[in-house]
Amino acid sequence: MKKILLLIFVICFFAEVNAQTKSPKLTGMYLGMSFERFAERVESETDFKFYFKEKDVENLQVNLQATDSDIKMILSQVFAKTDLTYSIDSSNRIWVSKTRKIQIDFPSDYFLVQERQDMQANAGDSLSAFDKNKRFVIGKSSDNPQSKTAVLSGVVTSIESGKPMNGAIVLEKVDYNQVSTDQNGKYQLTLAKGRHTIWVQNIGGFQEQRQIDLKGDGVLNMSIEETILSLDEVVVSSGALSNVNKLDMGVQSITIAEVKRLPAVMGEVDVLKGVLTMPGVNTVGEATSGFNVRGGAADQNLILLGNSTIFNPTHAFGFFSAFNADIVNGVELYKGSIPVNYGGRLSSVLQVDPNFGRSEKIGGSGGIGILTSRLSLDGPIGDKTNFMIGGRTTYSDWALNLLEDEADLNDSKITFYDINANIEHRFNDKNSLEFTAYLSQDDFRFDPDTTYSYQNLNFALSWKHFFNDELEGRFSAGSDSYQFGIIGQDNPLNSFDFGFDVNQLFLKADFEYRKNEKHIMTFGVHGIQYSLNPGSNKPYGSESIVIEKVLDPENAREISIYFGDEFTISDELSVSYGGRYMLYQLVGPMTVNQYVPDAPITEGNLIGQETYDKGSTVKTYSGPEFRFSARYTLDNKSSVKAGFNTMRQNIHLLSNTAAIAPTDSWKLSDTYLKPQTGGQASVGYYRSLAKNKLEFSTEVYYRYMANLLDYRSGANIILNENIEQDVLNSDGKAYGIEILLKKSTGLLKGSLAYTYSRSLMKTSDEPSVEKINNGDFYSSNFDQPHHLVLTANYELSKRVNTSLNLNYSTGRPITLPLSKFDYAGSERVYFSERNAYRIPDYFRIDWSINIEGSHKVKKLAHSSWSLGVYNLLGRSNPYSVYYTPVEGQLRGYQLSIFAQPIPFITYNFRF
Amino acid sequence: MNRLVYISLLCVILLNGCREPFNPDIDPTDLSVLVVEGYLDTQGIPSELKLSYTRNIQPDDSFSPTYPEADVYLRSEAGAEYPLTNKGLGIFEFAYDIPEDENYRLYISTNEGKSYTSDLIKPILTPDIIEVGFEKNELGAEVYLTTKGDENADDFLWTYEETYAFRPKISSSYRYDEELDDVVIRKEDERTNLCYRGGVSPDLILETSSRFENQYVFRQSITQILQDEERLSVRYSILISQKALDKEASEFWEILRKNTNDLGSIFSPLPSNIRGNIRSDQDSSEPVIGHVSLGTVKQKRLFIDVREVIPWRAQEPDYFDCFIDQDTVLIDRYRQAFGTGSFVPVVSIVLEGAYDPIGYRGALRRCTDCTLRGTNIKPDFWED
Repeated sequence: MKKILLLIFVICFFAEVNAQTKSPKLTGMYLGMSFERFAERVESETDFKFYFKEKDVENLQVNLQATDSDIKMILSQVFAKTDLTYSIDSSNRIWVSKTRKIQIDFPSDYFLVQERQDMQANAGDSLSAFDKNKRFVIGKSSDNPQSKTAVLSGVVTSIESGKPMNGAIVLEKVDYNQVSTDQNGKYQLTLAKGRHTIWVQNIGGFQEQRQIDLKGDGVLNMSIEETILSLDEVVVSSGALSNVNKLDMGVQSITIAEVKRLPAVMGEVDVLKGVLTMPGVNTVGEATSGFNVRGGAADQNLILLGNSTIFNPTHAFGFFSAFNADIVNGVELYKGSIPVNYGGRLSSVLQVDPNFGRSEKIGGSGGIGILTSRLSLDGPIGDKTNFMIGGRTTYSDWALNLLEDEADLNDSKITFYDINANIEHRFNDKNSLEFTAYLSQDDFRFDPDTTYSYQNLNFALSWKHFFNDELEGRFSAGSDSYQFGIIGQDNPLNSFDFGFDVNQLFLKADFEYRKNEKHIMTFGVHGIQYSLNPGSNKPYGSESIVIEKVLDPENAREISIYFGDEFTISDELSVSYGGRYMLYQLVGPMTVNQYVPDAPITEGNLIGQETYDKGSTVKTYSGPEFRFSARYTLDNKSSVKAGFNTMRQNIHLLSNTAAIAPTDSWKLSDTYLKPQTGGQASVGYYRSLAKNKLEFSTEVYYRYMANLLDYRSGANIILNENIEQDVLNSDGKAYGIEILLKKSTGLLKGSLAYTYSRSLMKTSDEPSVEKINNGDFYSSNFDQPHHLVLTANYELSKRVNTSLNLNYSTGRPITLPLSKFDYAGSERVYFSERNAYRIPDYFRIDWSINIEGSHKVKKLAHSSWSLGVYNLLGRSNPYSVYYTPVEGQLRGYQLSIFAQPIPFITYNFRF
Repeated sequence: MNRLVYISLLCVILLNGCREPFNPDIDPTDLSVLVVEGYLDTQGIPSELKLSYTRNIQPDDSFSPTYPEADVYLRSEAGAEYPLTNKGLGIFEFAYDIPEDENYRLYISTNEGKSYTSDLIKPILTPDIIEVGFEKNELGAEVYLTTKGDENADDFLWTYEETYAFRPKISSSYRYDEELDDVVIRKEDERTNLCYRGGVSPDLILETSSRFENQYVFRQSITQILQDEERLSVRYSILISQKALDKEASEFWEILRKNTNDLGSIFSPLPSNIRGNIRSDQDSSEPVIGHVSLGTVKQKRLFIDVREVIPWRAQEPDYFDCFIDQDTVLIDRYRQAFGTGSFVPVVSIVLEGAYDPIGYRGALRRCTDCTLRGTNIKPDFWED
């Protein structure tokens, strides 16, 4: 026997946490022996191993007789009148400790088992509850005795932070019933009455189990550990395992852990790059973080950081995402059935969950890379408050200085930073307050004369209140703004200062009401006040003779109300349905051009102007949105889902280029630019394979869109006060099939996503000056039919893992200058039909390796290294194609941004 | 390794860091497209229809233009036919006085066996140009035009041709004569200090008269000559053509205009495909470029003299860093200095009391010889 004194609270990696349901039984007489002797005997008779401090057990005598008894029963008896407690891990090691349980695979914390009625009241006495009883009796058999099943519900919280855990899997393994917890950590399982073993699995973390005897509907709250193993990886969002059973369809989640396993560009962990590994998500080029979901334009994605709308989610011209990975908890992308509490964009919702920090101690994390560094600090302030602040900055200038000999780089400059501050305060069990603030600022120039800058600034305050067990409310208010500017100093006379900004103030009230276990109702009201300065150009410097031009500001309000219900009809069938009604009003002061009715909107048809006073309504649009989705479970391993939803969007990004440029401005719907509307129908099939190790899903969708914006030939979208003359009202359609195979467990993790999709547009039948491609459907700028992403991560050891990422997609469409001809005395260029050609296909492989430092808990700081190569093959993937006259002749060039393998290395730490 | 990082950074930071030639495979049917250009005069004044093909956008030294050989005629709806005369090089002349109250179609049948037909064309008589003038403004001088639309002529296209007289930075009336090995005074036909240059402007100016009260297009801006531009350094002439267009033609020219102003760079707007009113009889999807119109062209010429816009100091970049050399070239070094022609005698140096110069101070030929940039032959229309 080994008498090993072990440090308390040290645990890092035990191999796979096996879910051993059957522990060996003990039979025998253990009379009047010391605990040490008892332990020796048990060790000789079973494969249990004891670990304890001699001092702790020196006065303990064991006196008992066992007949085929469970070890836990026996130990409970042995320790009954002591302050000792124990844990048993998956390798049948028994850890004995004083007062506090050792965190192995068992929680040291408590869990509660009670009747649901007195759940709140007895929250404190959980430890004893645990000690007294292994098998939790749930519910009253007197409740609804006819029913053979009962509903088990509860909240899963994290031991470390005490906060609800989103996306933990609650699983019953005999019939394979499983569900994942929602963002409040809540879960609900319908099980046959009787005894069960309930497993809780935090993705990438530990597994936890509970024995229950289900007699009626009841509550089982559990606290589980977030993984200690991955030092700075906090697990996020609804996991893969649950896709079969989830009601939502077309929802993709990615955890920060998964994002971190992806090879990074310049070593910067980038959640948006992670989003791009999901099926149905494309991008037109690598230097744009604007992404296209299921054939929708980039401005049709609602990007939310908590409650704040981020108008430009990129840094440095799109090379980096504007989200600091350290302050992000997880990312969820809704591309199919968009929950009814989201609205305002046509394609998708990207919900980025902010991290509010730990509650047990103040710590921090950071990273140092070649071009960027980040640092964050988080922890509690008192018992009820935690915070997280983080910042990121770039210092590429040193690199630029090294390059002075080569070309004119010393005139280029890219700087950016972002700051996040998140604070959470819990007044009591029923009230909590969250505050988030976000600032990102970018300045860059490629020549000394023109400086670009842009800035996001967001604040949001949110109060969460539990009215009672059934009704929960969340009240939020905040402000979102985005602005950009260009300062041109080509020569003092023409120096200009161009500016654009959009601001929105929002108020939201969201409610969730659980009538009984069959209905989860959500309802609420959202209000947004927009104010937008479409552009101004002012002289810069005293010598400038630029004539000031300021477009009239735009103001509008948007009010939406919604109601939705998630209705579990039977074990097999659940539906979710709901509706949203949006009222949008553009308000004065404003001057609106009047055009000849039923004629194309052209300068020639301009017949007058109408002026609206401040506050008067210029134009009102309103309309309903519908959401419907249904899931039918075929068997324990597979399900089919179908959904249909319609969306409306009142704010448009004016972008006349294929890539989203930081100088693209937003525009509110007005008299002539109608709100974009669209609908999507989708059907999906989901299946777990190989005992839940593999998840397969496929979805087919069809979308239609109306009032999209395309632009007439040579449209000018900057400082154009008559923008309606240059946009073409367009219809769109998109369809596709997405196939995803994902492996989330084991040493080899990864996913293979293939998407076939088309995205087409046509100039609508409304009178217009120009029908692109004769009014036929043509490829939209982001129509890339084939898209394949393979990500694989192999765990070489607990401290070293290596990742490979492979990305292929069809080249995006472009309009080519094909030939030239003489006309009206000059040489003219003949262009192909809109988007008739494609740039070459895109193919890239990245590789990285992550090395963790030792996992000693008492280390001052935990560190890890991440190194790898972006674009391993060095393939020149064209980002764009352009033509430029060289010695009087037009020549075509393709531009690659990462045409070389790009090595990167980043040092990350956490303390 | 370091170098690799630098190159990578270079790519990231300099957007044009990693560019390679791009030569896409283009569908051959897109490459050689028939181009038809013509505004045929309906009152008997000879006018031209031009047929050509588009050509490769990439430079190609071996390229020699080919022109379609074809039979071209105009036919009225009533059936009257007006064949055009083939003048070669794709040019066909039309010289008929045809009734303006009928509709016509243009028929083209090429020797390659293809045939093309235009949509119905209605002749539009272009109203007269009422006034052409200019106005001095803070940017320089703006040329404008005033006209008035009528019930038939609503949309207008203006194109223009400019010619201007200019002087080189340094005026020289001498030249070196190789046979005499001496500097001589230039004859009238050899003068290099006053030249003319110009050409057809690619600008297309479009306007719709119904936007204005009584269809009166008042002082439509045609071109802006920026302050101190060489165009107005001596005397400037502009010939403006006014053509009335129907709606479709106006849209065609509008697309042509916008496509000309932009060549697909990364962040430039997406251009549009251009067609016109000519269709292939064999393959309706075959692209044909060009919009043929019938009507009359009105023209007016304007002269502007530098005296009307003073102060005006010509700033021509071609003549920057032009000066007269300080050193005098003495007689025995004439051949050496002026023999190649790239250095020209400008100022004679005559000693006090003497008659013959002892030498000349000279300047670079590009600073003295205006014939390098224009012609010293006065155009026929020129009025001083």
